Amino acid sequence: MTADNCKSDKNATGQLLDSLYLDMFHLIEEHTQCRLDIERTNASGAILLARTKFQQGGQSLSSAQIPTENSAEFNALCRVVDKTDDDKTDKVSIERHSVDKENGYVEPLHWFSVLPPMSLRTAVERFKKSIELVAESTNLQRELAKVLNGIDRLRRSLAL
Amino acid sequence: MLKSTIVDTRVRLRPSKKVLEFLAKHKEHFDDAPANLAQILKKNGYKLLEKTTILKDSEISTKRPAIDTKLLAKLTSNVSDLTATEESEQEEEQEELEDEKPQPVDGSYLYLTDLHWLHDVMIKLRAKDITNVFLHELIESCELILPENEFKPRNPELEARCQRLREQQQNREYQKMTKNVDATLQHYPEDTIAYQLKSINKQIIAVAQFIFSVAAGFTFGFFGVNLMVGPLPFGFRILLGVIVALVIALAEMYFLAKKLHEYDEVFDAPKRKQAEESVKSSGVQKVKPHIE
Repeated sequence: MTADNCKSDKNATGQLLDSLYLDMFHLIEEHTQCRLDIERTNASGAILLARTKFQQGGQSLSSAQIPTENSAEFNALCRVVDKTDDDKTDKVSIERHSVDKENGYVEPLHWFSVLPPMSLRTAVERFKKSIELVAESTNLQRELAKVLNGIDRLRRSLAL
Repeated sequence: MLKSTIVDTRVRLRPSKKVLEFLAKHKEHFDDAPANLAQILKKNGYKLLEKTTILKDSEISTKRPAIDTKLLAKLTSNVSDLTATEESEQEEEQEELEDEKPQPVDGSYLYLTDLHWLHDVMIKLRAKDITNVFLHELIESCELILPENEFKPRNPELEARCQRLREQQQNREYQKMTKNVDATLQHYPEDTIAYQLKSINKQIIAVAQFIFSVAAGFTFGFFGVNLMVGPLPFGFRILLGVIVALVIALAEMYFLAKKLHEYDEVFDAPKRKQAEESVKSSGVQKVKPHIE
């Protein structure tokens, strides 16, 4: 009975380890893809910013447009929120607040001009997307760490 | 050297002899094989049976396996998170690596689809009690190759172009610097006719555009509205024309001012830069003790 039990236990461990390994490969691939997407969106955002500057001319921006220490305070539009899922994995998500001037949520795009050029707007979109991708990548990385930890523990329990 | 983006995001495994031998041994037990795996086996001198069908990558299901977290917690409940033992384990692994058999042909890798297929096959084999080897035992002997950035040298054409542009810029700066020393350069380039014509041309075009659009607006108000609505009194038509022209003039004025301002900036830019620099340098000089 105990031998049988032991065998089934070993079987279960083996199967679990197999699926953990497969999951690890999946996660590595997804994580790489995610990092690649971050790189791409960031690069295209930077190019669009450069284009905006090129179109507007070099001297069109002054430091007076950007808030300094003495200017009025405002709240952040975008926050990183830690969420605990039902399967006990910490997940990071991005929370965005709608623009609301009375409560201190200002649109930073309007510091530069009332009618921002198309390229600047697209650049903002790209960078927003990139932040979301960073959150996704963090989640994947945490999952991967969990799977690696599981593999490590399982292998040690096998060795015992 | 520049890091280029990762082209292939797939995880690769270099199969060890153990895997290939295992596959060759059990080849009569599976009816199909992924194309990549079949090729690897062929390259290394193993033959598949003729009845084995070759699968395309799209035919293999690659769903992420569901992890039974409860079972995992149960099985590992008696294992503490020791970190001290890890080092010794790594050492053992290294030893294992050293006495490994020679690697198979380069450039043959197992991909995720192959691993999925292998996983399924081994489940089947274990169910039939043909073998009791697990996938993790097989792939332990394989080398995992993670996707990496390629390093590639900077394009020599780009490098040459950058160099040329830098030289031009430096030349221009030098000429500006030596302008009041060399008499022949004194009036270069501001006093050449071509330079003046160019700058005048640009401004004339901007102003002509302004005049044209205002005239067109007036014409529209004077004739166009009359044609659309019907006969209007002459005074009213003039009034309409003037109003439309005014609106267009206001809008156009804004753009004209912006454009002309930009031209000014372009012409002033080097001078202003110099002025700033001189301010800075004078600021530095203040620190020095006065000669007097």
